[in-house]
Amino acid sequence: MAKKILIIEDEEILLNLLQRRLEREGYDVVLARDGEEGLKMMKEAEPDLILLDIIMPKKSGFQVMEEMNKDQELKKIPVIIISNSGQPVEIGRAQQLGAKDWLIKTEFDPAEVLKKVVKQIGR
Amino acid sequence: MKEERVKRFNPEKELKKSVKMLLRRDLELNRVREELEKRIKESEAAKERETILRIREVAKAVDIKRNIKRLEKKTKELKETRKALLNILEDIDEARKKAEEERNKTLAIIANLTDGLLVFDSDNRASLVNSRAEEILGIKAGEIEGESLADLSRFSALKPIIQLVKKKGKVFREEVKLRENLILEVTTTLIAREGEKIGRLFVLHDITHEKRIERMKTEFVSVAAHQLRTPLSAIKWSLGMILAEDMGPLTEEQKTFLQKTYNSNERMISLVNDLLDVARIEEGRYIYKPAFRDLTKICQAVINSYKTDIERKKIKFKFKKPKGRLPKIKLDEEKISLAIQNLLENAIRYTPPEGRIVVSLELKEKEIEFSVKDSGIGIPKEQQDRLFTKFFRGTNAVRIETEGTGLGLFIAKNIIEAHRGRIWAESEENKGSTFHFSLPLP
Repeated sequence: MAKKILIIEDEEILLNLLQRRLEREGYDVVLARDGEEGLKMMKEAEPDLILLDIIMPKKSGFQVMEEMNKDQELKKIPVIIISNSGQPVEIGRAQQLGAKDWLIKTEFDPAEVLKKVVKQIGR
Repeated sequence: MKEERVKRFNPEKELKKSVKMLLRRDLELNRVREELEKRIKESEAAKERETILRIREVAKAVDIKRNIKRLEKKTKELKETRKALLNILEDIDEARKKAEEERNKTLAIIANLTDGLLVFDSDNRASLVNSRAEEILGIKAGEIEGESLADLSRFSALKPIIQLVKKKGKVFREEVKLRENLILEVTTTLIAREGEKIGRLFVLHDITHEKRIERMKTEFVSVAAHQLRTPLSAIKWSLGMILAEDMGPLTEEQKTFLQKTYNSNERMISLVNDLLDVARIEEGRYIYKPAFRDLTKICQAVINSYKTDIERKKIKFKFKKPKGRLPKIKLDEEKISLAIQNLLENAIRYTPPEGRIVVSLELKEKEIEFSVKDSGIGIPKEQQDRLFTKFFRGTNAVRIETEGTGLGLFIAKNIIEAHRGRIWAESEENKGSTFHFSLPLP
C-alpha cells in the first residue's frame, strides 16, 4: 500500500505543487489548509508523514505540534517543517517540539522535498 | 634935588650893598635849586616806585590772568574727564545690563530647552540641571546639584549617566534606554576654556518617538519581506517543476526563457533575504550560532561557489592561504560565509574582465585577518565614509551595474562586529579596492 503524506499548508499553490510532485512519486497525499483542519485530518487519515507549515491561520504549526505531543498516537508521526523564514529560532523551536527535519521555502525546490520525504519514510 | 641924591650916593657903599645882596640871592637860589633838585629827586623816586608798583601790578595781573586761564583749562579738562567718566560709567552700566539680559536670556533658553542638559564640573560634581533634564530623570535640580558621582548613584535614573561621566574621550553619543517607554540619545562633550578642562556637558535627547518609527519601519520591512517570500517560493517551485519537465517536455526556447525567469526570481529572493537580514539586524534578532571553525575551509568553500563567475570574467584569481594551519576560532559559519560572500561578490562584480582578485588569510598576533584585493572600479574618495551604511552604492558602481541593493557591506559589517571583529577598506577610484576584516583569536 502506498505511504500516506499529510500536507498542512495555507498557500494553495505550494500545496498543489507539493501534492502533484509527491503523487507522481506514488505517494498518497491528503491536504489541509490550516492548523485546525490539519489536526482533524491526521486523526482521520492516519498519515505516515506530515509536511507542516508554521505560519498559518487558526492554529500555527507550533500549536499543531504541541497538540500532537499530547496525543500518544499522533506523537509517533514524523513531521517535516516547511519554514518561511528559515530562522534558527524557528527551526530550533520546531526541533524541540520533535520535528524530524525542515525545509526552507525559498531555498529548496520540490525535487528536494522528495529527498527529505524518502529519507523519513522511504518510497 | 638931584644933587642931593647924587650927594648922598656912595658908590662903594652901594656896591658893597649890591654884592651883599647878590650873594644873598645866590645863596637863596642855591637853596631853591637844592630844594628843587631834592624835590625832583624825590618825585623821580616816587615815580620810579610808582612805576615799579604799576609794573608789579601789571605783572601780577598778567600772572593772575595766566593762572585763571590755566585754571580754566584745567577745569575744562576736569569737566571733560568727568563727562568721559560718566559716559564710561553709563556704558558700563549699559554693558552690565546687557550682560545681565544676555545671561537671563541664556538661562531662559537653557531652562526651556527641549533637550535635557546636565553639566558636571571638573570634580565630577553635578553643577547644572535644566528643567527638561529634571523631567526626564524625575529628579529635582536641588537634589543633585553639587553632589559627587558617589552620592548620585542613589538615583537609579542617573546610573547610565554616571557610567558615561566616567568614560574618556572628547565627544561621544550613546543610546540609553532609561525606562520602557523612554529612550534617550545622550551626547556628551568636554567643556574646555583655553585648553583647560572645566567640565562635561550632557545633552539628553528623547528619541523614543524616532525609535518607535524606526521599529515600525523595520517591522514593516520584515512583514513585507515575509509576505514576499511566499509568492516568490511559489514561483520558484512552479518554475523548478516545469524546468524539470515534470509537467511535460519543453522546447529549447521555452527552457532558455524559463531558466532566465528562474534566475530573476532567485535574485528577487536574495534581495528579500537581504532586506530581512537588515530588518533582523535592526531588530536585534540576528542570531549567531557560534562554534569553533576553520576559516580557511570556509573561505575555500565560498570561493568554490564563485568559480564559474570568476572564470567567465577571465579574472586572474589567487587565494593566498596562510603558511601554517590557522587556529580554529569561534564563529557562526553561515553568517561569516555570508560576509565573505558579500565581499567576494562585490570584488567580482566591480572588477572588469581579465582583472585581478587576491583573497588572503593571515595570522596576526591577536587576530586572523581576511582580505580581498581587486583591480576594480574602486570607490570615490568622498563616498568612502559611507561605505558600510545601509543602501550605500558608489555613484560609479551604479553607472556600470544598475542592480545591487547596497546592503551587502552593511550586513557584512554587522556580522563581523557581532563577532567582535573589525571591518575596513582601502580604495582608489579606477585602481581598485581592498576590503579587510579581522576576527579575534580565542
